[in-house]
Amino acid sequence: MSEPVLELRSISKNFGSNQALKDVNLTVPHGSLIVLLGPAGAGKTTTLRIIAGLEAPSSGEVFIEGMDFTQHQPNQRDIAMIFDNLALYPNKNGFDNIAAPLRIARRPKDEIKRRVMEIADLMKIGHILDRTPATFSGGERQRVALGRAMIRAPRFYLLDEPLSSLDFMLRIDLRTELKRLQQESGRTFLFATPDYTEALALADTVCVLIDGEVRQIAKAQELYDEPVDRDVARFVGNPPINIVPARLTRENGSASLEIGSMHMKLPDHMEHGLPAGISDVEIGVRPEHVRMVGSDSAETHLTGTVNDMEPLGMHTTVGVNLGGVDLFFTVPGVQEFTDGDKVEMHVDMESILFFDPKTGLRLT
Amino acid sequence: MAKIKLELVNLRKEFGDLVAVDDVSIAIEESETMALLGPSGCGKSTILNMIVGLEAPTSGDILIDGKSVLNVSPGDRNVGLVFQDYAVFTHMTVRNNLAYGLKIRKMDQTEIDREIAKVAEFLSITHQLDRKPDQLGASELQRVAIGRTLVTNPEILLLDEPLSNLEAAMRNQMRRELRRIQADTGQTIIYVTHDQIEALSLAHRIAVMDFGALQQYDTAHNVYQYPANRFVGSFLGNPPMNFLKGKIGEDGGRRIVTSGNSIIPLPLGNLGSDVSAGADVVVGVRPESLRLAAADDPGSFTVPILAVEPQGPETVVTASFGDSSLKVIVPTGAAAAEGDSIDLVPESDLIALFDAESGVRLLDSGDRR
Repeated sequence: MSEPVLELRSISKNFGSNQALKDVNLTVPHGSLIVLLGPAGAGKTTTLRIIAGLEAPSSGEVFIEGMDFTQHQPNQRDIAMIFDNLALYPNKNGFDNIAAPLRIARRPKDEIKRRVMEIADLMKIGHILDRTPATFSGGERQRVALGRAMIRAPRFYLLDEPLSSLDFMLRIDLRTELKRLQQESGRTFLFATPDYTEALALADTVCVLIDGEVRQIAKAQELYDEPVDRDVARFVGNPPINIVPARLTRENGSASLEIGSMHMKLPDHMEHGLPAGISDVEIGVRPEHVRMVGSDSAETHLTGTVNDMEPLGMHTTVGVNLGGVDLFFTVPGVQEFTDGDKVEMHVDMESILFFDPKTGLRLT
Repeated sequence: MAKIKLELVNLRKEFGDLVAVDDVSIAIEESETMALLGPSGCGKSTILNMIVGLEAPTSGDILIDGKSVLNVSPGDRNVGLVFQDYAVFTHMTVRNNLAYGLKIRKMDQTEIDREIAKVAEFLSITHQLDRKPDQLGASELQRVAIGRTLVTNPEILLLDEPLSNLEAAMRNQMRRELRRIQADTGQTIIYVTHDQIEALSLAHRIAVMDFGALQQYDTAHNVYQYPANRFVGSFLGNPPMNFLKGKIGEDGGRRIVTSGNSIIPLPLGNLGSDVSAGADVVVGVRPESLRLAAADDPGSFTVPILAVEPQGPETVVTASFGDSSLKVIVPTGAAAAEGDSIDLVPESDLIALFDAESGVRLLDSGDRR
């Protein structure tokens, strides 16, 4: 395996008394697509700016292809950074917009033509090369701007929420294309986004950044199934995971959970996997791991009253009150509920996650 | 049928050569939420501006409670507009922001206090009444902006992409609150958005727009399950609806659509007289309306798998169908691997046929609500 194209070693960054980044370590291999996922203010943009050299870290090093670049100027790093709002030259046509970086680098005419055509083909924008940006749709503008960034061959690309100002459906289209583009070109992308669905759709590996700290680096599915803590569990998944205070008790070799006034016996084979030495826990239950059952069913674990319903096309999210605690679960398609409806629910026990209520860490 | 609150009659707006709104007719019932859904530039904001009175239509009419408001000035139409970037007065406390519209109407102070208390409680901003906007977060600012309008008791509340500036978690919560506020107050709401999730979540009815023209106006359920044309099918749903190009054929008395070696059997029943054998069509089927078939299911078809992508609770399987590709959602953990093939069966009611050229829906059936 060759040298990673980028390595962050213990990067910290303070703005006055505010610690924006705390001991961030991240390795980006050649040809990978890594997503930096986190809410607004988590430090994603600060991380990208430090990599690009627009900001100096308070401590730590930025290694690029095995060399310490921490003190290098941005233009010595040979990195492309792509933002949400990509400016195009309004008076130049699509071709000249894409060709601009090569013209600045004084490349020969025939090479410029060949490379613009290659990029136009890759980005599927051959039909707008003769037109000016005023006539482009939102998606075409973004493609031309990406094409202009792609025509150079920098060491890697930093993308800072490049799709966030686009319409919903266009965003879905373009992220599929970005992934294809990255795979076909074999280039390296570090992509920052607050949108976990975008992260899941794009990434080989996701690095979750919350409050300036790297909380977890994992495959997208692993983040979902095995989050390291409550914050990661909440951030990944929509509707969000239910976090409910519960009491874990063990008696005569069998374990059970008390939630409010309700009591759920856990299957015997789960007993070994339960966290030891703690009884007050928080349990994480994903909405799709709760399903409705008929009244007085042997499968009933919880009962509650409906207090919210959100039809979302593929699913309907139903909110229920469990006597003080709100719980959300999903049902397929469009189903009708009325506030006050009584429902009985079955919980997929094996999928329950346990968290320490004090530290938020997942207990295993 | 409930009372019609607002009616747009052949509403048209031209800007020079551009037809921004192309003869749109919509009737909105009292106490319902109607979403205007479409991509940027589809004319939805222009419609909003005409309802408020910021733009005059080129032709057509706007009726509120059955009376034309074209000659009524914006201030007298009693419609409240809330924008995406929450226009609130930054130098005033939340209380004074809420009071502003009522003071202009010269309402007396005790009544103002009572109305503010009511709206603040609705929007859960009671504890912030004495703060200034610069001490509030984005979602709180949006609540203040909505409250400022709601307190004036408008006939119609118009919301223009009100959640666009909020983070995902906050958007979820605000959607829930907007649903509750609407249900509790019975406020008539027109909600403009490009986000299908917001439209499905909040609206009783959805008007889907594209290029200034109304594509479909129906209940949220029908717009999602029975799109009137290919555009509507493509604009709602994630992963998006599959569109499979093919020709109508027949196999043992059953209608099928073929493309190359691929065959999809159509549900038994009336296909509509327009669809004859050999016709070029596009099959529209949502990824979640295809399910894994039992081995002997007569309605099933088999397609080769191109890619398998686990995405949390569900796995998206991409397969090929003739020249088109197809996505299907299976539970994560279901056996499916790249290079294998997969047997699928469409839920018979939820498969659509579109004319290959016009994109208009051909197969017309289903459990409409």
